[in-house]
Amino acid sequence: MIALVRYMFTVLLLSQRYLAPLLLFLGLVAVLTSSDAGPLTATYASVAGAMLLCSIWLTMALIGLEDQPHRSIVVVSTGSHLRVLLATVGTAAVWCLLLTAAGLVLPLMFGTHTPGLADLALGTEAQLTCAFTGIAIGLVCSRLVFRRQGYALVLALVLLLAVLLGKGVSPVNIMLTHLQNASDSTDALVPTGVLLAVAAGFLVVGAAVTQAITLRKA
Amino acid sequence: MLRCEAVGKRYGRGRWILRDVDMKVSAGDVLAVVGSNGSGKSTLLRILAGLSQPTSGSVSRRPSHIGYVPDRFTAHDRISAISYLTHMGRIRGLSASAARTRGDHLLERLSLVGGRDASLRTLSKGNAQKVALAQALLVQPDLLVLDEPWSGLDASAHGVLAEFIDEAAARGGAVVFTDHREAITETHASGVYVISDGRVTLHGGRHAGGRASMVELVLAVPPTGVMPVEVNWSALPGVVDSARRGEEVVLRVAWEHSDAVLLTALQHRWSVAGLTGTVGEHDHRFDVRRSAL
Repeated sequence: MIALVRYMFTVLLLSQRYLAPLLLFLGLVAVLTSSDAGPLTATYASVAGAMLLCSIWLTMALIGLEDQPHRSIVVVSTGSHLRVLLATVGTAAVWCLLLTAAGLVLPLMFGTHTPGLADLALGTEAQLTCAFTGIAIGLVCSRLVFRRQGYALVLALVLLLAVLLGKGVSPVNIMLTHLQNASDSTDALVPTGVLLAVAAGFLVVGAAVTQAITLRKA
Repeated sequence: MLRCEAVGKRYGRGRWILRDVDMKVSAGDVLAVVGSNGSGKSTLLRILAGLSQPTSGSVSRRPSHIGYVPDRFTAHDRISAISYLTHMGRIRGLSASAARTRGDHLLERLSLVGGRDASLRTLSKGNAQKVALAQALLVQPDLLVLDEPWSGLDASAHGVLAEFIDEAAARGGAVVFTDHREAITETHASGVYVISDGRVTLHGGRHAGGRASMVELVLAVPPTGVMPVEVNWSALPGVVDSARRGEEVVLRVAWEHSDAVLLTALQHRWSVAGLTGTVGEHDHRFDVRRSAL
């Protein structure tokens, strides 16, 4: 599995298809957190919102990189479709972890904050919640499910709006609303942790749907 | 080894591409699958490789180590050929150094033009096909599935591919391949499956007694009168016997080395007067004389 993640990571790195979502993420973080001196809960909520968009883009780019013959070779080499899908999720998660690190540090450089351990933990939880949700959307809207990327893009935008605006249903919406109004990171840690677990569940469901459709189409 | 029972395949509610396919692939088999364009050859191979699930029927006893070469290897990655093979070797459980060494060896045998460090996107179709072939052989496969592997390969790579197929079969693996050309399937396969209207039928094989294992090569002084350079034939790999017959030299060469010996002879200005394939001690299969050459 590690070898497979390394291969996918390298292919995406060499393709430079990560550049656009990476620049978008850095740009959004810079715009949303520059000269910010408010509580870090709201700051990291903004960064998590940027992470949602970029994780969808990264996942779709990662899966779209390899055409069917290449993917077939990788599937035969690993022995199963599922392992390749899990490695894809793992690779997207690694990229998102790198973005998460940047998303934790950059607001501290752009604004005026005094971060504590709880703030950093909350920032990590918030970004990972959005990353897991974004990877799930990226999987469902990937080339594995949709041959026509136009349809996939439209669905990705619809799902993005749904998780951002779905009040009381979407873990992303609940978390962002909660963090915008919260002032203490320590108090927000547990509720955000629960939402992170729900987002992980979303990711499992997204992966299962993608796997089922991939096998059906194979 | 691998067994397909009553396998059928259709995509969605489309037409049945394969129906009631019964197929048995045993260790050491070299099987060809032939059929017209769109007849379902690639689909059958994808089912055998485990890439595609049959709509009906079952595939059992699929081996763990499978090598697969798709019909087209559109290489638009920036990754280099040797790096790609190293990654594929790692994915198959080799260490990085072992994968790199094996990849180097395979690319050398296939004479990859452009070098091992050339990125895949810069390779021609034939050279990309060589990389695709190499990745399938990084670990000795129990089942080698090749979808039109000869397409795009140059003449020298044809010989190497034939050697790979023989080596895989000799090690107890099985090889299943497709090709449109009857001459190729007749030469390389021990059994031929024909696909027509979704049905697959076994049409035996080209050689009831097995592939010609030895080649008898008769070399003569060229008609132009240019004297050929003497060669220590016995020292060449695969030459089991060499004898003089007047001005002619008669060599008995193991089949897998015959191309190399023939090339050496031509490079030393010998003329080929005769070429006879043999199975063991008995003449068999083909006899090509100068007129045919």
